[in-house]
Amino acid sequence: MLQLNKLNNYTYYLSPFIVFIAVSIPLISVFYLYDLNKGFESSNYIFSITFFSFYQSLLSAILSIIIGAVFAYLLIKHNYIYGINFLTNSLSILFVLPTIITIFGVLSIYGNFFQIYGLLGILLGHVILNIPLATRVIVQSLKDISPNERILADQMNLNTWGSFLAIEWPVIKKNIPSLFVLIAFICFVSFTPVLILGGSPKYSTLEVAIYHAVMFADDFNVAFNLFTIQILICGSIYFVFFRNFKSNNFIIDDRREYKSTSSISSKYIIDYLFLIFISFFVFSPITFIFIKGIGMTLFEVLSSYYFWSALSTTLIISCFSGVLSIILTYGNLVCLNKNNNSSEFWFYILIIFSPGILAVGYYFFFNEIIDSSIPNIVIIVVINSIITLPFAYNYLSPSFFRISKEHQDISESINIYGVRRFFLIDWSRLKEPLVTAFCVSSILSTSDLVIISFFGTNDLSTLTQTIYRLMGSYRMDEAYAVSLLLLIYCFIYFVISYKLILKKWNT
Amino acid sequence: MIKKSLIIFFLILVSTNLFASETVKIGTYDSFAAEWGPGPIIEELFEKDCECDLQYITTSQAGTLLGSIFLKDKDIILGATYDAKKFDDFYKFQIYDYGYYAFIYDENILKNPPKTFEELINRDDLKIVVQDPRTSPLGKGLLTWISRVFYQNEKETIKKLNKQIITYTPGWSEAYGMFLEKKADLVLSYSTSPYYHQEYEGNYNYKALIFPEGHVKEDEYVIIPKDSKQKIIAENFISFLGTQEIQEIISQNNIMYPILDSATPTKMKKLPKPNEVTSQSVNKDLIPLWLNATTQ
Repeated sequence: MLQLNKLNNYTYYLSPFIVFIAVSIPLISVFYLYDLNKGFESSNYIFSITFFSFYQSLLSAILSIIIGAVFAYLLIKHNYIYGINFLTNSLSILFVLPTIITIFGVLSIYGNFFQIYGLLGILLGHVILNIPLATRVIVQSLKDISPNERILADQMNLNTWGSFLAIEWPVIKKNIPSLFVLIAFICFVSFTPVLILGGSPKYSTLEVAIYHAVMFADDFNVAFNLFTIQILICGSIYFVFFRNFKSNNFIIDDRREYKSTSSISSKYIIDYLFLIFISFFVFSPITFIFIKGIGMTLFEVLSSYYFWSALSTTLIISCFSGVLSIILTYGNLVCLNKNNNSSEFWFYILIIFSPGILAVGYYFFFNEIIDSSIPNIVIIVVINSIITLPFAYNYLSPSFFRISKEHQDISESINIYGVRRFFLIDWSRLKEPLVTAFCVSSILSTSDLVIISFFGTNDLSTLTQTIYRLMGSYRMDEAYAVSLLLLIYCFIYFVISYKLILKKWNT
Repeated sequence: MIKKSLIIFFLILVSTNLFASETVKIGTYDSFAAEWGPGPIIEELFEKDCECDLQYITTSQAGTLLGSIFLKDKDIILGATYDAKKFDDFYKFQIYDYGYYAFIYDENILKNPPKTFEELINRDDLKIVVQDPRTSPLGKGLLTWISRVFYQNEKETIKKLNKQIITYTPGWSEAYGMFLEKKADLVLSYSTSPYYHQEYEGNYNYKALIFPEGHVKEDEYVIIPKDSKQKIIAENFISFLGTQEIQEIISQNNIMYPILDSATPTKMKKLPKPNEVTSQSVNKDLIPLWLNATTQ
């Protein structure tokens, strides 16, 4: 019995060990191949790309937060308007939808009015993608303002601006640093928007430049240099900023409610105009895709081989990465449960490894170092599940820590460990966050374009990549149709996962 | 019941990945295999005699045709341009058509087209769309062209031209599509492109800019990789591509000059044929040069 216990104690460490190996392989293989004799060749290309990655990410973050804050403020202030809560809630769906749909929409709509390629396009794309995130986070903290404060402001006869400064601004201000770092980081490692809207090497991020250097330019040394810069910068951002911000702000929790006491009035006309304008701006790409996607081409696509083949690949990748991601997250949580403090560290440090970094590492490992027969789809699933770990952690950890306090002693006293503990004890109470984490990981894997660009082949292509390829062949009608089908796919995926696993067909 | 049918649906979907019959896999660029390209007719005619199943696998980025990822599992590669580093490793290769890089414009829209390459470079009012040299032979061809005509100061030339370029697209199709939607004044293509509009649309407005400095010729190759599993059929396919009938189809549908002169369509013969640039290119790494020039 004692022996068995010991063994079980070791299985605790299995899951962190897998993650550790999974992120070590790419790092080791890249530095193993690094030609030290060539060393670091600085060129104005590398400098310009590093600078631009920073520059656009800072601008994107500032703009997203300003517009997001205004939007959140107006959404809360006027939440007596019919349907506005629905609008607020749909923002969180917008944030997890595949990036390529939004970016394709941005290109199609705004490309008609502006010279879209370059900084303007990238900013438009990033701002539209990140406003929902900024708005959600700020809306949540605005809901926390106690009604007494508002009553007090009324009694003091503060005007709109004065009451904003006294009540909302301090709350919004508190959110800015963490939101800023998060959004700037997302834009810094951005791939799809920059690949599609960049238009020239001048407007490129490190992530896109690494992809080009490895896949097309055959210039490994430049790729290595870009890789090193990317790792160093992401690492510094993590150690300097991320560790100082608690993630609690980003955990979605909808229980708080706030009812505004005002009602529709003509004195708010400017507010309404802003609300309509921002909503239109944020929802424009997706609405456009929706309208353009419906048409005769839809049937053509539905009867084509490439669509069904891409759909089946997408389904496999999303299902398996989702499952692997929650297994690893759960395993890590069980292991790290004992020393709570460092658990966040182990998850969030994974953020340093952007999809591009891991993909390049594995690409070198499998193509240059070992000659393996591992199918590409397995590699894609593994990388995707590692990338989505921090997100799965975000959704799973609060519930896990809550229940594990209650369960830990019991399960240890009756010798239940590992898989048995999961099914006997944790499963029934962790179902809901597990399904959410599973869905988020799956959809994130679905929207990936980096990893599939490295490991996809013509027979192995996801819906996201199919859209990109159709755009490249200028078969725009088909691209719209596939985008619409991808939207529908994500929706059905969510619904089925929830209903099947939670067996709640009625809700 | 719902659960079961979902599982069955999942299995059917997954299994579509597993079906793969005995076929000849031809890797090519998208416009060759498109329904308006030469691919479908060639497939039909070749399959008549060979009792095999030709299957086109396409990429929009013709520059990746010879990359190890794309090459894998292909029996034939169609449409690659010459690359000294890679061609030694192939089992067999053969030219099947050729063309000259040229900028195309619509004379109803661009009233004062540049007369020389020099003038094009020095203008600042044009909106040009070209292909990314990293992913497209056309984009790379433009760099070669520049390096031959302006061999003293390629970098300055690229910089000047870059100011007029709206975007570098990954492949030909996207660039030409944008041009046809009037999002650009000029597009980089082949001097034979106007033939398409004349023959199929009766539209004589599209013209190629013919520069006195000369143009660069591009040969398109059909290649049998060493790992091809269908070498005999592939060799038959190569000689099939050289026949009069197929050469006519290629020139009429791929809109390039055939290697058999007699197969050139009349309207294509009437198009001005550019002179080749006389100066040879100095062997330089053009892509790093381009990267540094465009990011300054």
